[in-house]
Amino acid sequence: MIARGKAQLLAPSRTAGYNSPVPPVSQTIRVGVLFFGRLKDVAGHAADSAEVADAATIEQLFALYAARYPELAKYRSSVVASRNQEFAAWDTPLRSGDEVAFLPPVSGG
Amino acid sequence: MVTLPHDDIYQLVREPIDMAAQIRLVRAPEGGAIVTFDGFVRNQSHNRATLYLDYEAYESMALAKMQEIGLQIHEKYRIHRVAMVHRLGRLEIGETSVFIAVSAPHRAAAFDACRFAIDTLKRTVPIWKKEYFEDGAVWADGELPPAPAATPRAKPAS
Repeated sequence: MIARGKAQLLAPSRTAGYNSPVPPVSQTIRVGVLFFGRLKDVAGHAADSAEVADAATIEQLFALYAARYPELAKYRSSVVASRNQEFAAWDTPLRSGDEVAFLPPVSGG
Repeated sequence: MVTLPHDDIYQLVREPIDMAAQIRLVRAPEGGAIVTFDGFVRNQSHNRATLYLDYEAYESMALAKMQEIGLQIHEKYRIHRVAMVHRLGRLEIGETSVFIAVSAPHRAAAFDACRFAIDTLKRTVPIWKKEYFEDGAVWADGELPPAPAATPRAKPAS
């Protein structure tokens, strides 16, 4: 589960000043999720889309899928994540429309 | 900041790689040396006979990472042109999976840049191969790309 309260606490403030419109208090966002290599086999599909709390982290997104597909959790230490085609830290907060991919060790060449 | 020369080539393809054509494309009059790397499918893996390989990629990111490598070698070495092509899909024994050609005015830069390019590609470009054997298939062991450490963040106000 995504800890919504915590995710909101970590969300950077979007109110630029006193005159900013009041942001919605509780907001979810939709992100694209991709699995590759053996992770695709474990998750059973290559692409999905997920609804998470605004500014939920990549780690929280992975936990959401690990809860759904328990075998995924075994691979957590040998996975790197990307956000919008760039390698990303696990604590990276997500924005609406982001594309997150979970990547096992690469073996091209 | 170096920008990629427009005549460099970075490609993911599903057909056999025409190595001679890639070499012709990097062969410029300013050059004097071309170094190539031809990576092709081995007939065994960990002492098991391989039947064939199947490559898949996170294509948009893989291409971006290949171009990043191109930028890096243009910055690091005095080279002229780069061709970097990776094949995807099913590959038979002996078929070329990756081909890199680097042209430079002098050989040392071409050797160094080509070596750096293939080593970095194998570590950072999101491509995976599945190895098929008589008795099943496995995803090849790979290298975990270096990922950024945790993001430094200001403490939330309490």
